[in-house]
Amino acid sequence: VLVRSERLGDLAVDDDKVLTFPEGLVGFPGDTRFVMIEIADDDAYRWLQSVDDPTLSFLTVIPWHFFPDYEPEIDALTQQELGLKVVTDAIVLCIVTIREGTPVPVTANLLGPLVVNTVSRVGRQIVLADSGYPARAGLVGA
Amino acid sequence: MLVLSRRANQSIVIGNDVVVTVLEVRGDHVRLGIQAPRTVSVHREEVYAEIQRENRTAAAVTGDVVGSLPRPPR
Repeated sequence: VLVRSERLGDLAVDDDKVLTFPEGLVGFPGDTRFVMIEIADDDAYRWLQSVDDPTLSFLTVIPWHFFPDYEPEIDALTQQELGLKVVTDAIVLCIVTIREGTPVPVTANLLGPLVVNTVSRVGRQIVLADSGYPARAGLVGA
Repeated sequence: MLVLSRRANQSIVIGNDVVVTVLEVRGDHVRLGIQAPRTVSVHREEVYAEIQRENRTAAAVTGDVVGSLPRPPR
């Protein structure tokens, strides 16, 4: 599939690399197909680009690079919806927000992480209500 | 918006399988009980709104951001 991206240009992506978020992301219910794009020489961050909307992309981070103690609980319903049998099939990404001119401009959303079953390639943004995890956790570099 | 008046211990039914019951009213504080199938997610609106706000802000990030991102501590 050819994915057009305002940010990343045209991307030729194998069909079997397309991720499906049946419910979309929170606030973006209509965008259900995404591709995950790695960033050269960078283990921590990934782009998530909508397949159907070239203008819609999210920068995400694999949270454990910055928050080694992060323990998002993937509830039974989510496991069922994603067809998740073993936890090692899951990848967790947190959406990154950048607010220029603020003391900690780069933050990650630990309250609403994305969980993707890498086998079925189905994903979901889960809501960790009552977990105490913040929606804006500062990413502070080394 | 549909507006219904309910008293404590009265309920409303949404669709076939969601029941919202007013458990207690005390001043401006209302306790609700929600019966829903496991496939229906139920959240406090403000938690949902906070995540929605973050998503919207994140989607609006423009420019070359990758070069200036914090590097993980090793």
